Amino acid sequence: MGARKNGFYPVMLLTLIVFISIVALTLTNAVTKDKIELAKKDEIAEMLITLFPKMEGFTYDEKSDLYIPLAEQQPLGYAFMAEKSGYGGAISILVGLEPDTTLRGIRIISQQETPGLGSRIAESFFLQQFPGLAVDDVELTRKGGEVDAITGATISSSAVVEGVRKAILDKLNQLRRET
Amino acid sequence: MHSFTKNFLKGIIRSNPTFILLLGLCPTLAVSTSLDNAVGMAAAFTSVLLASNIIISLIRNYVPIRVRIPVFIVIIATLVTIVDLILQGFIPALSKSLGMYIPLIVVNCIILGRAEAFASKDNTTNSIADALGMGVGFAWAIVLISLIRQLLGTGALDLFGHHLFTVPGLGDNPVTIFLLPMGAFFAIGVLLALFRWMGVSTGE
Repeated sequence: MGARKNGFYPVMLLTLIVFISIVALTLTNAVTKDKIELAKKDEIAEMLITLFPKMEGFTYDEKSDLYIPLAEQQPLGYAFMAEKSGYGGAISILVGLEPDTTLRGIRIISQQETPGLGSRIAESFFLQQFPGLAVDDVELTRKGGEVDAITGATISSSAVVEGVRKAILDKLNQLRRET
Repeated sequence: MHSFTKNFLKGIIRSNPTFILLLGLCPTLAVSTSLDNAVGMAAAFTSVLLASNIIISLIRNYVPIRVRIPVFIVIIATLVTIVDLILQGFIPALSKSLGMYIPLIVVNCIILGRAEAFASKDNTTNSIADALGMGVGFAWAIVLISLIRQLLGTGALDLFGHHLFTVPGLGDNPVTIFLLPMGAFFAIGVLLALFRWMGVSTGE
């Protein structure tokens, strides 16, 4: 062990191990990269279908960041992502709009809210309050809107509501500017 | 094989990583909110620990004392990243609910602790036994904690989307505090006291 204790041996060994780990990670990444992309796309597609059951397919416009669900080549509305910080981290929400820009509905794509409390924002009893609302009604009841907060999860509920309303306003402004 | 059995069994009760060694409490407290998470975390944790113990025991004679910690950390971090990528690609739902706690396995002191205290000093067979024993010990500990938290916190028992049963009377009025971080401390504190009272103590 004498020669191993001094000089360059520890440096060489560490370099070698880092090199091997880089190779291992590159290989794993190559194998899983497409799968991960696919899993993310599948998730959005699945959520889109629950919002637009008649949908036969969808296109994604990168420039405006809009998902456009299609049936017989005709757009059924628009969908886009909204994000807002909740109680336990970012909540990302898929927002669906009718062609006349009333709310088609929302779906929670990911959230880290308290399980059993804030996480109930992803349950249907909360989500079913959204379809048919106009932008200005997307607000908690106590603030004059149409959405009842979940008991014990006001921060999570209000994050969803704020996030959705802001995203819709932003998108409408963006569309107005473009046309 | 005698030492294999002995090294396997010690992780389960006598040197249980959670209840006796009190290692790795951060991920244990954080993800024990539901049974699904506990099972997923235990599986991910055990695979990383097993792989890290095998690799470290194989190279133990070539690693100088002075660089052992960086070597262990690089190996463990690589393994965790591999597990993370595989989960994201193949079981996205589990990867989403375990969230940031998978990357945190890197700094889980049970894994580094076993590398330092066991795998770097013993042969591969014993290190495998140690990893499996610690894995089982961690698994039953986190499953027990999450069982208590889920039962009291939601008043019902669900496993991988299957509703098993609702506790009468508790289903409508669950003790939601058990789902919050403080509930985790209540649960683990009472369990620790219970094990001490039963006379289970460290055997090392």
